[in-house]
Amino acid sequence: MSLSPFSSSLSSPFAHSKHSIRALMLKVQLAALPALLVHIYLFGFGIVMQWLLALATLFVVEYTLLKLRKRPVLPFITDMSALITITGLVFCIPPGAPWWIIVSGTAFALIFGKHIYGGLGYNPFNPAMLGYAFLLISFPVQMTQWTLPAEVANHYITFSDAFYLIFTGVIPNVSVDIITSATPLGKLQTELSQGISAIESLAHTMPVAHDGYSSFHVIHLLFDLNSWEWLNIAFLIGGLWLLFTRSIRWQYPVGFLSSLGLMAFIFHSIDPSTYPPVDFILLSGGTMLAAFFIITDPVTSSTTPIGRFIFAFGIGVLVYTIRTWGIFPDGIAFAILLMNITVPLIDQYTQPRVYGHK
Amino acid sequence: MSKAPCNPSWFHTILHSILHPLVRASARVIAYLYPDAKRWQHRFNGGVYPQYHKSLSLQHPIKETLIPKQLILPIKLSAHQKIDLKVSVGDSVQKNQLLMAASKANKHGVIVPIHAPTSGIITAIKHTPLTHPSGLDALSIILEPDGKNQSLENALNINGQPPGEPQALKTILLNAGIVGLGGAGFPTYAKIPATQGQIQTLIINGAECEPFITCDDLLMQTQAAEVIQGAIMVAHALGTPKIVCAIESNKPAAIQAISHAAQHTIVTVQEVETVYPMGGEKQLLQELTGIEIPAKTHAIDSGLLVFNVATCAAIFKAVTQGEPLTQRLVTVTGLGLKIPYNMHALIGTPFSDLTELAQPKTPINYPLIMGGPMMGFKVKTNQVPVIKTTNCILANPPEPEQLTMPCIRCGECMEACPINLLPQQLFWHSQAHEFEKVEKLNVFDCIECGCCSYVCPSRIPLVQYYRHAKSAIKEQHAEQQAVELAKQRHEFRLARIEREKQERDARLKAKKEAVKQRKANAPEKSQPSKKSSATAAARAAAAKRAAASQKATGSSNTSQPSRASAREKAIETAKKQAAAQVGSKNTTNKDPNKNSKATAAKKAAAMAAAKRRAKQNQEHTDQEASTVPSSTQAPNSESNPKAPQAPTSAEEKRKKAIEAAKKRAAERKARQTQQETH
Repeated sequence: MSLSPFSSSLSSPFAHSKHSIRALMLKVQLAALPALLVHIYLFGFGIVMQWLLALATLFVVEYTLLKLRKRPVLPFITDMSALITITGLVFCIPPGAPWWIIVSGTAFALIFGKHIYGGLGYNPFNPAMLGYAFLLISFPVQMTQWTLPAEVANHYITFSDAFYLIFTGVIPNVSVDIITSATPLGKLQTELSQGISAIESLAHTMPVAHDGYSSFHVIHLLFDLNSWEWLNIAFLIGGLWLLFTRSIRWQYPVGFLSSLGLMAFIFHSIDPSTYPPVDFILLSGGTMLAAFFIITDPVTSSTTPIGRFIFAFGIGVLVYTIRTWGIFPDGIAFAILLMNITVPLIDQYTQPRVYGHK
Repeated sequence: MSKAPCNPSWFHTILHSILHPLVRASARVIAYLYPDAKRWQHRFNGGVYPQYHKSLSLQHPIKETLIPKQLILPIKLSAHQKIDLKVSVGDSVQKNQLLMAASKANKHGVIVPIHAPTSGIITAIKHTPLTHPSGLDALSIILEPDGKNQSLENALNINGQPPGEPQALKTILLNAGIVGLGGAGFPTYAKIPATQGQIQTLIINGAECEPFITCDDLLMQTQAAEVIQGAIMVAHALGTPKIVCAIESNKPAAIQAISHAAQHTIVTVQEVETVYPMGGEKQLLQELTGIEIPAKTHAIDSGLLVFNVATCAAIFKAVTQGEPLTQRLVTVTGLGLKIPYNMHALIGTPFSDLTELAQPKTPINYPLIMGGPMMGFKVKTNQVPVIKTTNCILANPPEPEQLTMPCIRCGECMEACPINLLPQQLFWHSQAHEFEKVEKLNVFDCIECGCCSYVCPSRIPLVQYYRHAKSAIKEQHAEQQAVELAKQRHEFRLARIEREKQERDARLKAKKEAVKQRKANAPEKSQPSKKSSATAAARAAAAKRAAASQKATGSSNTSQPSRASAREKAIETAKKQAAAQVGSKNTTNKDPNKNSKATAAKKAAAMAAAKRRAKQNQEHTDQEASTVPSSTQAPNSESNPKAPQAPTSAEEKRKKAIEAAKKRAAERKARQTQQETH
C-alpha cells in the first residue's frame, strides 16, 4: 500500500539514489553507540535494562497503533524512527528509574508525540522530548534521582542489579541512597539557591575517590573531567560522525552549541560566582545528546538552511535560560518543545532566494 | 552557502576567477573525505551524481543507419493546427523531399516542415500514437521506404554561402525543419533573434549530463568540425563575437576533438564539472557566466543563446549542403540490452525496430523510455517513432516498486535543487492542494530535472506532484478567467439594462414635455421636420391640437424654454454620469495590468463603455456646438437636430460599448494565453 496517490515509476526520474529513511535512522542509532558504551561503563547496566523495556513497549505500541490506524505494520515498524525516539528518551531518564517510568514515557512519546498526529513526518513536537517532558512533570522525584557514577558510589551496577533496582526499587545488600544523587546540574541549582557559589559547588562535583586507587581516578585526574563530561564527549564523537556522513545538518549543533556557549560566556564573565563556566555548561546534562541527536530531528525542526540555524540557536538560548533561572535543572526538553512551536514561522521567513529571483 | 548574484559585478567576476579554481581544487581533495564537497565545484545550487552508465553505449561504434519497414512521421499535433500537405497517399517520394510545408500554429508558434527521411511510397496518412508522455494519437504520414535511399540534392535550394544576416539564416533553418535537438524541441527558427548584435555569447551545449545518453559525446567525437562550423555560421549571421563550447569533464575524447576543431576560431572550449543537471540551459549559463537568467525571462534577453551540439551540426548541414533535418544520432541503450549502440537514425523509425537491433536480454514487454532516466518519459507503446528530439531510447527492465514513505523534512531535496526551491514545502502544500501557496513558492520556476525525487530517502515522486500542481494551477487560472468573464458580462448586462431604462425614462419624459409644449405651442407651428417616429407622432398630435386651437389662442412662447430645459437636463445628467465615470477611471486606472483581479477587469470593461459613452456625448456636444454654436446656451433653438437623433445614437452607443468590452476581453485573453505559453 502506497501513501502517495502517484506511483513512483510512472514518470521521471526513473533513477534513484540509495538514500532511504531506514539507512538514515540506522546511522543515527549507530552513532549513539559510543555514548551507550560510556554510559554502561559509568553508570552500569541500568540503561540496558531501560532500553530493553523501551524496546518492548515500542513493539507493542507501534503494532497496536499502526493496526488501529490501518497502516502497513512492517514497513513502518522497521523504518526505525521509533527506535531513535526511544534512544533519545532512554538517555534522558535516570538509569535506575522504576520500570513504569520508561514504559509510560515511551508509550506517551509514541502515541501522543507521533501517532496521534498521523505518524512519522507529521508530528510537530519532538516525540522523545514530549515523552521526557511528560515524565519530568509527572514524576519529578523519580526523574531527578540519578544513579551516581560507579567510582563515586563505589558500586558497579551489574545487569542483575539493574533488574532488581528497576523492578523492585532495591538492590539486594546495597543501599539505594548511596548510589543515587542529583545530577551535577541539579546539584548546582540547589546549592546556588542555598547561597553556595558556582565555583564551590563545581569543586564538589569533582570525583573524589572513596578508597584508594582506581583507574577511573587516574583518567579523571588526567583529563580533569567528570563522568557527565565523558558522556557528553561520547555523544560529541558520535555526532561528528553523523555530520561527516551527512546524516545530520551542521546548522543544528553549530547553532545550538554556539548560542549556549555564548550565553554561558557572557554571564560567566559578568558574575563567575553565580554562573558556571562555558565548558561546564557545554559538557553537562544532555547538551551534546541534544545537539547531535535530539534537535537534529528533521521532522520537527525548520527545513531552510537559515531556519535550522535560527531554530538551533533559539534552543541554546532557551536551554541556558531554563537551566539558570528556571526551576528545572536541565531545560532541554522544554527548550526544544518551545522552539518546535516556532518552526512554521521560521520556515515562512527564511526561504532561500530562488534562482533568477531578486 | 554563497550564491552568485543575478548579474555579477566586475568585482564578483574577478573574485570568482581567483577563488573558483582554488575552491574547485580544494573541493576535489575534500571530496575524498567528505563526499558532499563535490557540490562546491560548480556554481549552481545542489545537483546530483547519479550512476552514468555511459560506457554501455560508448563501447560500440556508431551503427549503420537502419532503413525500417515503415517510417511514421507525425504531422498534426493539435486540432487547431492547419496543415499544408504536399503529398498524398500513393505518392512516391525521394529522400529530403518536402512532405509538409511550414505553417503557423496559433499566434506565435510555427510548425516546422517535414521532409522524407528516405525514398519510398506514402502508404497511408492515419492516426498513430505520438512519441509524447500523453501517448495521444496524432495524424501521421506513413512512409514505406523502397530501400534505394534516392535523395534530392540541395533540397533546400541554398547557394552554399553562409547567411550574413539573421533573417536569411532563419529562413534556411525554418525550411530545414530544424528544432532544438537537446530535448526541448523548440523551433530554432523562432529561437534566433531577428536583429544582429543582440546576442553577445553563443554557447554550444555539449554537457550531456543525463545518465546513459552518449549521442552528443559521439557526435562531438566524430563530427567536431561540423558542430564548430555550424555554431560559427550562427554567430556570423547574428554578429555574435564569442562562442563557448561547454563539455562535461567525463567526455575527454569529445573535449579533445572539439578543441582540435576549434583551433584558430572564435570558439573557446570549456570543460565543466560532471554533475547533473549541468546541461540544463540555466545551470550551464550560471556555471559559465555566473549570470542567473531573471525569472520569467529567457536567456536571449540576457544576450545569451544556447544551442545543443546536434543542433549546430544540423545547422551546418542545412546551410552548406541544403540538407533538411531528417535523421539524428540516437543512443539506444539500457540495462535490458546486450549490445547498446548509437545510430544516425531516420526520423520516424519505430523504437522497437531500434531496440531489436540491440539484442534485448529479455523480450521488451515493458515500456521504453524516451530520453534519459532523469527527465525522460515512458512511451505508451514501443512502436512510437523516433522524433527530432529523441536523443535516447532507454530499455531498463522495471525494478520492484519501492514503498513511498512519509516526508521527514530531511531537506536532501532542497540541497539538491539547482533552482534553490524548497521541494519539501512544495510537496507539502501540493499534497494538501494548497495551490496558492505552491505558486507562491515558485513552483513555475521548477525545471523538473528530478534531482529532488532522485535524492528523496522516502522515495516520494516529488516531480510528479509539481507537474500535477502546475497543471492544476493553470486550470484554476483558466477557470477564474472564465468566471471573471461571465461576471463581467453579467454586470455589463445589468448596467446596460439600467442605462437603457434611464434613457427610456429620460426620452419618455422629454417626449411628454414635448407633447405638453407642443400643445401649448401649436400656433407657432413652423418647426423643421423631425425624423424620429416618436417625435413625429407627438408632432402629429400636437399639430392636430394646434389646428383645433388655432383660432382660440394666441402664441405663448413662454413655455418653450421649459421643454428645451427638460432635454437639456437629460443631456446634463448623462454628461455628469460620463464625467463621473471618467473621473473614477482616472483614479482606479492607476494600477494597470492587474488583469487577474476580477474587480479590476470588471471596472475596465465598465470604463471602456463609459469612455465610449463619454466620447460620444462629447461628439454630440461638439456636433451641437458646430451646427448650433449656441445650443447649450440657447437650447430653445428649434433647429437643434439632437433631440430626434437621441434614440438611435443611444443604440449606437450601446453597440459601441459592447464592442469595446468584447475587444478588451479578447485582448486580455490573448495576453494571458501568451503568458501561459511563455
